[in-house]
Amino acid sequence: MSGGKLNNRRRMSQALSRVANASVVETLKNQKELPEETLYRIGITGAPGSGKSTIISNLVSKRVDNGSRAAVVAIDPSSPLTKGSILGDRIRMDTVSNNPNVFIRSIPSRRSHDGLADNTADLLWEMEGYEFDEVILETVGVGQAEYSVRALVDTVILVLLPESGDAVQAMKSGILEMADIYVINKSDLPGAELIAAEINEIVSRNTYSSDEWKPCVLSTSNKTLESFNLLNNAINEHREWRMKSIDKASEQRSRVRYQVQSLMNRRVEELLEIMPLKEFDGHPKEVYEKLMKKLLIK
Amino acid sequence: MSLEGKRILIAKPGLDGHDVGAKVIALALRDAGADVIYTGLRKSPDYIARVAVDEDVDAVGLSMLSGSHNEIVSETLLQLKELDASDIKIFVGGTIPKDDHAGLIAAGVSGIYTSDMAITDVLKEIELELRNA
Ligand SMILES: Nc1nc2c(ncn2[C@@H]2O[C@H](COP(=O)(O)OP(=O)(O)OP(=O)(O)O)[C@@H](O)[C@H]2O)c(=O)[nH]1
Ligand SMILES: [Mg+2]
Repeated sequence: MSGGKLNNRRRMSQALSRVANASVVETLKNQKELPEETLYRIGITGAPGSGKSTIISNLVSKRVDNGSRAAVVAIDPSSPLTKGSILGDRIRMDTVSNNPNVFIRSIPSRRSHDGLADNTADLLWEMEGYEFDEVILETVGVGQAEYSVRALVDTVILVLLPESGDAVQAMKSGILEMADIYVINKSDLPGAELIAAEINEIVSRNTYSSDEWKPCVLSTSNKTLESFNLLNNAINEHREWRMKSIDKASEQRSRVRYQVQSLMNRRVEELLEIMPLKEFDGHPKEVYEKLMKKLLIK
Repeated sequence: MSLEGKRILIAKPGLDGHDVGAKVIALALRDAGADVIYTGLRKSPDYIARVAVDEDVDAVGLSMLSGSHNEIVSETLLQLKELDASDIKIFVGGTIPKDDHAGLIAAGVSGIYTSDMAITDVLKEIELELRNA
């Protein structure tokens, strides 16, 4: 890479930080025009330690094989007490972290509790201008159903484990209705086939018309790297299906809806944080009114 | 004082395979409010500089026990310069003989923290150093 290009990389990196760190007011001030087309986005979610980062590493090394460029945004939780974080996803991405065609940015969840981070929507938006071919988003490890990632990406992959026990747990939490691709990872461990069959059965109980996407269920293991070929193929199939079937306008609507909701949630938190304690002495109704007034001040 | 909002890369260059010290400092920084990225073992200066730029960190802490700290530090500083990122601060920790301190500081290191220092003192110094940034 030439020196000029590298300087660009630093500038891009700093621009991303500015977006990630912006307050709600700053975010709204700096937002650009809505993009007509967005980069293809893959979202990977699943329980803590299920292998999301490891999968991304194996997957992305295949996807940039042809010289294309990928950006990875990996979110880890912030400590609610100290606000600090250990951003440890990159460590599991050894197969690609050395590849100049792969850009990895680790970010803390900060005030968000939905598996994403503050300003994730705007950060993905900012990624548009830098010659990436696609973006991969790793959520915080979530136990319960967290749907937010659904609103921001094109293809959702949910990672499950053999030791998730029986599939009832997964059914209860509702996560079996939100993903496009289900991956049973660590399929080198006992119990993988059983859970794959169970999940498959649950997913197949629905009938899908010919123009609907029928979610697929796959097994992966970092002990058999070929298993990621199947995942890669499934992603490409889903992408192709989307191109001819998705309603762009309704998708844009849900993205904007999510973005507005998360800005609003955060604005409320920002205001609550700076509200003097004595303002909470009183009836919830009065405090609510006070907060509403503050929200309206520009 | 707090390191809230500061991004710090803890890197482990060199050939030794002991990263307990690196992990302890990473956790202490996290508890002081920092967002801490850890590279894992045996990384080259070239790799460390690239990650520092991609992750847009405020500082890099190099944890070293192997004795080749002088070469590693000057190479890391050089690589950062090539990437137009000389403003990213470098801290050094581990077993660094007293005789080498002056040379490292002259080369551009912002702080040297040897294993005998109390971790609270290390945090204080890093906070001061990054606050002035
Ligand atoms: N046996 C086995 N272990 C795996 C496999 N994939 C990942 N692991 C291990 O599982 C652990 C967690 O992997 P990660 O990739 O960090 O999981 P994650 O979902 O990104 O974790 P969080 O980001 O912390 O939620 C690591 O120790 C991996 O080495 C696999 O296919 N088989
Ligand atoms: Mg991870």
